[in-house]
Amino acid sequence: MACDLNQNDEQRQILDAATALLEESFPVSRSLGDDQERIDKLAEFGAFALALDDDLGGTGFTLVEEVLLHVRFGRHIVPAGALAAPVAARIAAELGDNDLAREIATGQIAVSAGILAGDRLRTLDDTKAKLALVFDRRRLELVEIANADGETATGLGQGAELTEFPFVATTRIGASNSASILNVADLLVSAQLLGIAEAARDLAVSYAGMRRQFGKPIGAFQAIKHHCANMAISAEMLSAQLDMAAIAQRDSRDDAAFQTAAARLLAPRVALANARLCIQVHGGIGFSAEADAHRFLKQAHLLRQLGGGAAMLDLASPMAPHR
Amino acid sequence: MDLTFSPADEAFRLTARKWLADNVPADRAPYEGQASRDFALAWLARCNEGGWAGIAWPEAYGGRGLPPERLVIWYEEYVRSRAPSVLDCTFVALNHAGPTLIACGNEEQKAFHLPRILSGNSVWCQGFSEPGSGSDLASLSTTAVIDGDELVVNGQKIWTSYADIADYQELLVRTEKGSKRHQGLSWVICDMKAPGITVRPIRNMAGVSHFAEVFYDDVRIPLTNVVGALNDGWRVAMTTLGFERKTAAIGLQLELSVRVEDLILLAQAQPGSAMAERLAELRAETAALRAMTYRTLFRQPATTFDGSLVRLRFAELSQAIHQIAMDILGPDGLVDSHWTHDYLEAYSETIAGGTAEIQRNIIAERILGLPRE
Repeated sequence: MACDLNQNDEQRQILDAATALLEESFPVSRSLGDDQERIDKLAEFGAFALALDDDLGGTGFTLVEEVLLHVRFGRHIVPAGALAAPVAARIAAELGDNDLAREIATGQIAVSAGILAGDRLRTLDDTKAKLALVFDRRRLELVEIANADGETATGLGQGAELTEFPFVATTRIGASNSASILNVADLLVSAQLLGIAEAARDLAVSYAGMRRQFGKPIGAFQAIKHHCANMAISAEMLSAQLDMAAIAQRDSRDDAAFQTAAARLLAPRVALANARLCIQVHGGIGFSAEADAHRFLKQAHLLRQLGGGAAMLDLASPMAPHR
Repeated sequence: MDLTFSPADEAFRLTARKWLADNVPADRAPYEGQASRDFALAWLARCNEGGWAGIAWPEAYGGRGLPPERLVIWYEEYVRSRAPSVLDCTFVALNHAGPTLIACGNEEQKAFHLPRILSGNSVWCQGFSEPGSGSDLASLSTTAVIDGDELVVNGQKIWTSYADIADYQELLVRTEKGSKRHQGLSWVICDMKAPGITVRPIRNMAGVSHFAEVFYDDVRIPLTNVVGALNDGWRVAMTTLGFERKTAAIGLQLELSVRVEDLILLAQAQPGSAMAERLAELRAETAALRAMTYRTLFRQPATTFDGSLVRLRFAELSQAIHQIAMDILGPDGLVDSHWTHDYLEAYSETIAGGTAEIQRNIIAERILGLPRE
């Protein structure tokens, strides 16, 4: 045990296996629709139980591996339900309902991610999930939506499917404001936003190397190069901070809340900035629904609604001056 | 992935903290001239007596050869104790010239210069940039012709920090007539008191003179002052690039973490105000810069150019922090203070050592693999 920020073999193996599954089941270019079958495959893979206690189906990995896995999820625009499930399982366990925790972790019970809009619960998908995890600022609540009357609607220029429920019609299961679970939720959201930022960077770089104008690849022009460099700097900044925060939270360090809040604050800004630049680098085709660039932008808008809001300035910095 | 410091590391942290609390000078460092030299050398001598000079240098050369865990602890404690900025007139000697001599110098050069550097008895400056060779350093044209057992140097350098108070200069000159670009250059030790050297200080936009133009008019330098092989100067100059990133640059980057805490205190922003939001973002970005610094120390880089990412992030974050300081200060920002001074000085961050634009080209071409122009 010392300081080492390299991924080890075990971590690379699980990430490679996850990537293979994601490339098959979650191509970025896919039409909207019922993702439940795909999400079931992630559950089968053990994605939701990864870092849980052994008696809840955990496989001995830690929050750090789980965060790295969610970066990959972000790259493939995996629906927010994949983020809600592992958080909901933790809440169920905290409420003392280990059976429910196991059922969520193994994918037997599906969970949607939702937010409150006035007196309505808005879930960020059209899944027929039985439960929803409600992100309500610094509070998380697990509710049953199976018997509530949901109304689906499209969002973000027909780029997202949403379902709205009268919140009073849902069945409340229990809530949590545990700092540890809130931090986990913020880390997973940040991880997916990083995945978006990285994928947007890679897509832009790949297009800039291929698309030719004025007799050369547009990536040979400094204006395009500098957009791409900015995307690389932003992604590196967030990625470094996310590692720092995930390790701090896994090891219950004093600065875990500070590091997590920093990552969660930066994540949507970085993801949105990279998504915007990715569209710009693509030029005309970037504005079309056919290209993938806009998908990253829209997923970033969805994810940034989940959690966050920690009072960054009220948390003690690990670098406070001594005098 | 782990960031676990051993109990011995934690004890080291407390030792460093205690020593710094007892020894950091109460006064701020003077900005320029002989006073800045005296202050910096006295501080370095004090560090050396305490065993804190050249902590990254190998033990064989008077350093402590500390592993990265201890280096980051030292620099964290250093900046949290408000010790003098590492970017003073001892910076080149400790972080560039010294390590270059260690890597490429002969025994005589090392035996003479290294102890003088660590004990705070010599100041070095860097003679690389020229009026016609800034970002494009390899185009430099200051020449050195062999005459007997000496080199005769003619030409001009510019932006040479601390040239007016330096004893020695790491000087990059063209020793092969008609050579192009990186070929035919040599890295030589130049005595700044040699006849034929004229130093003309340049006042910068912050109103102080810590850099200068240096003119060479038939300056004679013994051939024994060539470091590494003759005409192999480019390689010699580049050997320390990696080293540079693993030493005092850490201190500069971490110092912003303290600076942003000062800024938050200075602002007294209302919770929820636009200023509070901006400060929260800066605090998060500064935390992330520290995380990037940890990466440079504890992670194998994907390319040799990865340092450009953190270098550029540091430069732009430093400017952003000082710009906000001026917003907070309002009319008080007009009066010269350390905030105003540092705000003006920060304009050099995206220019010195490779402009932000060149850094972005490097990132795009060497890290992302985009085609060269």
